[in-house]
Amino acid sequence: MTVQETSTNSGAVRRFERAADWAIYALFIAIVLGLPLVVDDVFWLNRIAKYLVFGMLGIAIALSWGYAGILNLGQGLFFGLGAYMTAMSLKLMSATSLQQGSDKPVPDFMLWNAEPGAVTDLCCINKGSFLWIPFQAQWFGLAMAIVVPLIVAFILSSSIFRLRVSGVYVAIITLALVLLVRLLIIDAQPITNGFNGLTDLGWLTISGFEFDPYMVETYYVVAGSLSVVLLLGRWLVSTRAGLILQSTRDDPTRARYLGYDVAAYQIFFFTISAGIAGFAGLLYVVAAEFASPSFMDIGFSISMVVWAAVGGRNSLIGACIGAILINTVEATASETEIFKEAWKLIIGGVFIFVVLYMPNGLAGIARDLVARIQRKRVDEGTQTATAAANRRQA
Amino acid sequence: MSDIIFIGLSLSSILLLVALGLSITYGAMGVINMAHGELVMIGAYTAVLAGIHLGLNLFFALPLAFVTSGLLGLLIERVLIRRLYGRIIDTLLATWGVAIVLQQLVRLEFGLSFFGIHVEGLGSGLQNMAVPAFLTQPVDIAGFTLQPYRSFIIVVTLLLTGLTWWLMYRTPMGAQVRAIMRNPQIAAACGIDVRRVSALTFAYGSGLAGVAGVLLAGFKTVMPEMGASVVVDGFLVVVVGGVGSLLGTVLAAGILGQINGVVALLSNDIIARAVVFAVVIGLILWRPRGLFSFKSR
Repeated sequence: MTVQETSTNSGAVRRFERAADWAIYALFIAIVLGLPLVVDDVFWLNRIAKYLVFGMLGIAIALSWGYAGILNLGQGLFFGLGAYMTAMSLKLMSATSLQQGSDKPVPDFMLWNAEPGAVTDLCCINKGSFLWIPFQAQWFGLAMAIVVPLIVAFILSSSIFRLRVSGVYVAIITLALVLLVRLLIIDAQPITNGFNGLTDLGWLTISGFEFDPYMVETYYVVAGSLSVVLLLGRWLVSTRAGLILQSTRDDPTRARYLGYDVAAYQIFFFTISAGIAGFAGLLYVVAAEFASPSFMDIGFSISMVVWAAVGGRNSLIGACIGAILINTVEATASETEIFKEAWKLIIGGVFIFVVLYMPNGLAGIARDLVARIQRKRVDEGTQTATAAANRRQA
Repeated sequence: MSDIIFIGLSLSSILLLVALGLSITYGAMGVINMAHGELVMIGAYTAVLAGIHLGLNLFFALPLAFVTSGLLGLLIERVLIRRLYGRIIDTLLATWGVAIVLQQLVRLEFGLSFFGIHVEGLGSGLQNMAVPAFLTQPVDIAGFTLQPYRSFIIVVTLLLTGLTWWLMYRTPMGAQVRAIMRNPQIAAACGIDVRRVSALTFAYGSGLAGVAGVLLAGFKTVMPEMGASVVVDGFLVVVVGGVGSLLGTVLAAGILGQINGVVALLSNDIIARAVVFAVVIGLILWRPRGLFSFKSR
């Protein structure tokens, strides 16, 4: 085979792989958006909407872990911040907040613990309650759900990556931080309702339309957001910046030597990943109607990493599907008590198996499959071409 | 004043107890063993079961738990960890799976609950270990009230730390472990059986977790989830102290425990823990390799 032929072949392989890649994305988005046509049980649609949110967390993990090589064991921090910001706004829109004997909305839990005779206004029920004032505007809470995670992630990642902390230490710092914030939220009981979290929320309302979580429209909001985030993420990693980022993952010293500001790329993608997680938190509150400190449990943050690992840490869509798949199976298994406990045993085993034998997860298997089909196709193509050439010679 | 120091000392000794095993498995072997907390939990359950079924008290439970957790650690090393040396993040993920499996096994009474068989002392409920009476009566010494059980924990922790130090720095085995820590290839080239030494080291670290479990069982409720919360604290101590440095681990446990004790007195327990996490983040940012560390690999 001549050099010319090889290069056309590898070009063909790459074209085919890219086509297969886009086909999978298109198929996934079509299924997610088309699901309400098949499933008409709003209860199940609401459940699936929550798992799609977890799918978005999978994307966030794959972006930072798979593409940037930064294992963030505290992704729950950004998810939780997004959730709390959204929940604060929706809490003030809840009917119970309007029935507290004040003409302005006041969260019910604040009054339960208020000093007798305290003014029932957000400004001065207790020391921290003024923080809630801007959240009376719904758009403020929604914006903060993404802005606050972005800011926190920017400050955190700037200090981490400018100091060239890497690998396991990043994981431990993020882990410690999520625990720290969780404790602060629990301790700030007067303004966050502590352990109980924010419940009894109002509905997301956009230009007069109320998004009841058990409504097809709400499902479409979540599914549409997931599709947009997925495509944006896919685009982002294929840009020049995305490619440089992957080079910093593979060999930071060399990337630095070639003149790239490694920390800048790491900070950028870490922050984007946090923003996605914050957005996921927003959507989760819209679909699930509560925010709780349990979003910042270590177990939840590590679970996200597990989903991404099973789906494939190096693939945005793989990690996304992994998250949706595991949660859907888990929900089905939890219907019966015995299977629920056994399922946890199984997921632990599956996880050990994936780490040992499937380092690239489900996406890795899919990729191998595509490569095998393509090799076969190219081989057959080459054979026909060679045969034709032979005939001509004869 | 001495009260505060004693509370801090007692918190430190618990941190150190958990971190001691980790400083061996993580510090010396580069394995982030998320199942370490579950090995602690297994140790606690060993004490509970030994009390219920064999009528053995705390003092017999200690060696028993050391052996049980140690053997379990050996098994984990042989089956799993062995394939993951040098892939530190993968060890974290795989052992997280092990942690879930161990928790579920205890909760499901090793699968017996599926058949409707109940073993007393296992299952998802809460368990307690009885502490011998003479360890629960406060003793007054020169106007200072001494909590005997807390003091007992401090003494055992000191003994175990001393033992570990002796093993690591004064025995041929310890010299081999330290050689492997610095450079496993060269150690192997010098004729050290790296696989065997690694397996034994891991088993020893796991055994220490079992002992920690027994002592924790004396003042904490024993339940399948008890390990998850202690393991993170343990890691923070080891990382702050410096990977592979026993002295660093001891010092870090001392500092963090004292901070926890003092802040808890000034405000509350939750804020105290939050402050400890903040200090840890600051220390890791300032010195990623820990307070004490040597150059390696």
